[in-house]
Amino acid sequence: MSVAPVPPSTTAQTDGALIRAEDLWRTYVMGAEEIHALRGVSFTIAPNEYVAVMGPSGSGKSTLMNLIGCLDTPSRGRYVLRGKVVSEMNDDELAAIRNREIGFVFQTFNLLPRATALHNVELPLVYAGIPKEERLAQARRALEMVDLADRMSHKPNELSGGQRQRVAVARALVMGPAILLADEPTGNLDTVTGEEIMGLFERLHAGGNTIILVTHEKDIADHAHRTIHIRDGKIESDEERRR
Amino acid sequence: MPFSEAARIALAALRANKLRSFLTVLGILIGVSSVVAVVAITEGLDRYMANQVLSLGSRSFSIQRMPDIITSRAMWLEMQKRKDILLSDMDAVKGACDACGEIGARVQTTRTVKFGRTKQPDVEIMGVTENFSRIGSVRDLITGRQLIADDVDTARPVGVIGADIMDAFFGQTEPLGKTILVDSHEVRVIGVAERKGKIFGNSQDNFVWLPITTYRKFYGTRRSVTIQAEARNMDLMETAQDQTRVVMRARRHLGFAKPDDFSIETGETVMDFWQSATRGIYVVTIVVTAMSLIIGGVVVMNIMLVSVTERVREIGVRKALGARRRDILRQFLVESVLLSALGGALGILGAAVFSMALAAILGGIMSADFSAPVRLWAVTLALFVSSVVGLVAGIYPASRAASLDPVVALRNE
Repeated sequence: MSVAPVPPSTTAQTDGALIRAEDLWRTYVMGAEEIHALRGVSFTIAPNEYVAVMGPSGSGKSTLMNLIGCLDTPSRGRYVLRGKVVSEMNDDELAAIRNREIGFVFQTFNLLPRATALHNVELPLVYAGIPKEERLAQARRALEMVDLADRMSHKPNELSGGQRQRVAVARALVMGPAILLADEPTGNLDTVTGEEIMGLFERLHAGGNTIILVTHEKDIADHAHRTIHIRDGKIESDEERRR
Repeated sequence: MPFSEAARIALAALRANKLRSFLTVLGILIGVSSVVAVVAITEGLDRYMANQVLSLGSRSFSIQRMPDIITSRAMWLEMQKRKDILLSDMDAVKGACDACGEIGARVQTTRTVKFGRTKQPDVEIMGVTENFSRIGSVRDLITGRQLIADDVDTARPVGVIGADIMDAFFGQTEPLGKTILVDSHEVRVIGVAERKGKIFGNSQDNFVWLPITTYRKFYGTRRSVTIQAEARNMDLMETAQDQTRVVMRARRHLGFAKPDDFSIETGETVMDFWQSATRGIYVVTIVVTAMSLIIGGVVVMNIMLVSVTERVREIGVRKALGARRRDILRQFLVESVLLSALGGALGILGAAVFSMALAAILGGIMSADFSAPVRLWAVTLALFVSSVVGLVAGIYPASRAASLDPVVALRNE
């Protein structure tokens, strides 16, 4: 099976790093109170790394995921993705980055219920302004990549959980993003189907993709080659796992 | 995101909520269909009026003691003071109006006519000069002959009857030479005029024409006559009326500051009155429609807000996949406009059915061919206005959707 390789990253001052996070803070103001969800998080991620972000709920894990996914910007600190300083971008620039550089895979799949698998996968290409013919061709290729060539015209409610998550993975990969960002991708799947999805991730990683996995399950995190533990808004540990 | 994509998304959303979408646009539907139907029906009536009124002869005009349209009692009382118009006035006009073609006179009353035991009530008895049937437009006969100058000169007791009288008295039998009783005066039938049908339910064929001299013998000479004249052609219409006015004013010794104490009426006069009346209907319709469209717009806005709330999660997903603010904004604006325009389109359909039905009913009442055409401009305007309503109603919900924070939107259950 062929896997879309990561395009070569744009030259930057990141000395080869795909992601460089420097002292990220995220503060929420609740009435008179300030809540620090992240308190100075720094790390770098190189191309084709397979990283798990772990931590209990309330640890700031989700906040970090939102920052990495460019859904949110830090209150303080610098976040550089492929040489672009995301922490200083406006809404539209963030949308463009999400479109081109981030491939989201959610716990609840988040497919559009009324759209077919093909149309769901086509969606990021629509927002990228790619012409229809090309869009359909690319979406088909992405679905073939996750072995769903025969389910293209099915709607989400006509697919099994594992198939839905594979559609979501195809949608995440269709733009050839810098990172695949998966938030509890097996959380809504049974163990067997979960392993199947993790196998797919394995293959994608072997094909050159960079994967960041957010989870609180040790078994799932063990698939990654590096694990970052978050607790109370700070990095508790960051360890490579030699294989 | 191109417009076609936004339209596709919008259509899918509307299709998923068919009943709700239909109920939402009901206000716009009713507004649009009432305005289009009223425009169609008034236009149909206008055309019908123009046909009927102008068939009296667009070159013809009449000089009358009283105007056709009296709008108040005070006006009517004022009119009562006017001097009679005499046959000698007709002769004076004949002598002075070189822009005029035929000039004649008529007097009329409504009486019962009898033939044997058969009675025909409410017959228009007209005393006319021999050229009457040729003024403005020619009224042909089905059978017999027209009145001639000799009939008028010698006050012969002869008459031309309308088709209604023919039907009532003679049916298939020979009418010519028969004697009918007009108010106990014997009149010999010499001709039957061709049928003209009805205007607003009033028959145009229930009459007896007598020589004006015969009429005066029956009913006396102390009655104002109406002078019936025609311009030689349409271009001379104004000139002919002016020349006539000058003669009449001179004969009635009116100082030049005084207004006319007689009335010159044309088919135009009636049409003008009719059109000013329909203009009133138009204005009322527009106000009512505007109100129903505003209410319709509020309903659309409300449903669009509901639609946004229901789809917060979807908006979050779209934003995560790279939708910008303007993409979301456009998606919901297009949905709102499409929804309203759909209401407008259904309204046009409703109007077409409604005006066809009403045209059939009105046509039945007036026993005439009557059509209420749905005009292209009305259709275009209806679609345009309902789209604008949708656009305005969609701005607030769409901008709310567009400004959602993707993190919050994705968390929404």
